[in-house]
Amino acid sequence: MSDWTRSRRRDAHSSERDNDSGPSRWSHCRKRGVDGSLRANREADGHHKTNCSHTDNRHASFTTPENAGPVSRCARRADWGSQVEDDEMRRDVHRDMQRYRRRILGAEVTQRERKTSSGSSGSCDSREGENMETDESVLLRRQKQINYGKNTLAYDRYIKEVPKHMRQAGVHPKTPNKFRKYSRRSWDQQIKLWKVKLHAWDPPTEGSPDKVLNNIDELGLDDVMDIELDFPTLSDPQDAPASVTTRSLSLEGEECLGTPVKVQKTDTTVEPDMA
Amino acid sequence: MMENSTDDYRIQSFDLDTQMLLKTALKDPSSVNLEKVSNVIMDQSLKDQVFSKEAGRICYTIVQAEAKQNNGNVFRRNLLNRLQQEFKDREETRERSLQEWVCYVTFICNIFDYLKVNNMPMVALVHPVFDCLMRLAQPDALMNEEEVDCLVLQLHRIGEQLEKVNSQRMDELFFLLRDGFLLQEGLPSMARLLLLEILEFRAGGWLLSSTAHKYYYSEIAD
Repeated sequence: MSDWTRSRRRDAHSSERDNDSGPSRWSHCRKRGVDGSLRANREADGHHKTNCSHTDNRHASFTTPENAGPVSRCARRADWGSQVEDDEMRRDVHRDMQRYRRRILGAEVTQRERKTSSGSSGSCDSREGENMETDESVLLRRQKQINYGKNTLAYDRYIKEVPKHMRQAGVHPKTPNKFRKYSRRSWDQQIKLWKVKLHAWDPPTEGSPDKVLNNIDELGLDDVMDIELDFPTLSDPQDAPASVTTRSLSLEGEECLGTPVKVQKTDTTVEPDMA
Repeated sequence: MMENSTDDYRIQSFDLDTQMLLKTALKDPSSVNLEKVSNVIMDQSLKDQVFSKEAGRICYTIVQAEAKQNNGNVFRRNLLNRLQQEFKDREETRERSLQEWVCYVTFICNIFDYLKVNNMPMVALVHPVFDCLMRLAQPDALMNEEEVDCLVLQLHRIGEQLEKVNSQRMDELFFLLRDGFLLQEGLPSMARLLLLEILEFRAGGWLLSSTAHKYYYSEIAD
């Protein structure tokens, strides 16, 4: 066997290892494993064997969701554990919707009273209740994206450090409001920015190299994992040219840093898990 | 105080190490192997009828504790998937051991009763529970006192809830029970008594009238 074939086989083998049903290559950075168990003292316990196959040290709060393989995310999961979880999420979303409606209606009433008494011309805020997002599939998708962001060490540290009443707009990350009507692109962008902001609360790590590079990787992977195979609706005209490219990885390259080289590098490392 | 409440969970039948494991799981779920805990509970439920009748309680508490501690549901997920596995093999289990089969049905019904999601029964369990009860209502099962016993016990405990989530299947089940009561040859008189009682119980809106209660239970010391 030639050297070339031997090294190809080795590569194939190592990529197989990465793809097997065990932890994915990014799993060591998540707060929680695919079976839901908390990875409490990860750094203290040392690395899993899959960690050793990485040459770059990913940031400890890396939040890429587990890839369970080529399963359609729309398919109903057959195991009871998952069915109950999905059911629970659905109920939670509906309950949140009711609470939100009540809150909005309450706020609307107060605002209307205030307007009539002061005689000022109103903004369109008062119609928020009628204009909220109610599509269950959209809400569930958004909730999943929010959950990925909240399932991080960074988020944990953030909420412990900054109580709600101390939060300043613009400075402190704020969870996007899943009940507002936004285009798909707009929402995905908000999630991205929110997660980037949360990184400020990442736990300190030993020798993490290019933090910016890690952020790009993370952004790219999160969105790739989350995006379903339908293309986002185009409501912004300036987005049209960008959407021609096949994956949002390239979009992020243009929007965030304009560094196609780095994006391409991410692209190839992502491929195996995108199956 | 802790000792008293753990007695309620009927864990005395476990060996001491396992009792310790369970007690820790109740207080500090993230510190134990929850998959192991769910297997331990499942295994014991299949062997110990007394435990299977009340195992839902301890499961509920562990689920709540884990959710509160770190928003996790490892225990619940493992328990449900194990339950599903056993469900797939239930016919084999029944052939191998009637006792184990009856324990399984008791356990899954108990889980249905205790483990609610946002105060609603777990939808994923509704059909499996009905499947189990329908099996118990088959002619061959009605000949076995243990199976009829199990069937009526479960209907007393969760019949009303089950009917609320799927009245059509409940109707189907009761067609079988009526047929069994009226038509099945060689049905033991005990089985017939139990069936009649459950028929009246459901007809009365999952309540037994005081006269009916007197009829069926007057011999039992209060």
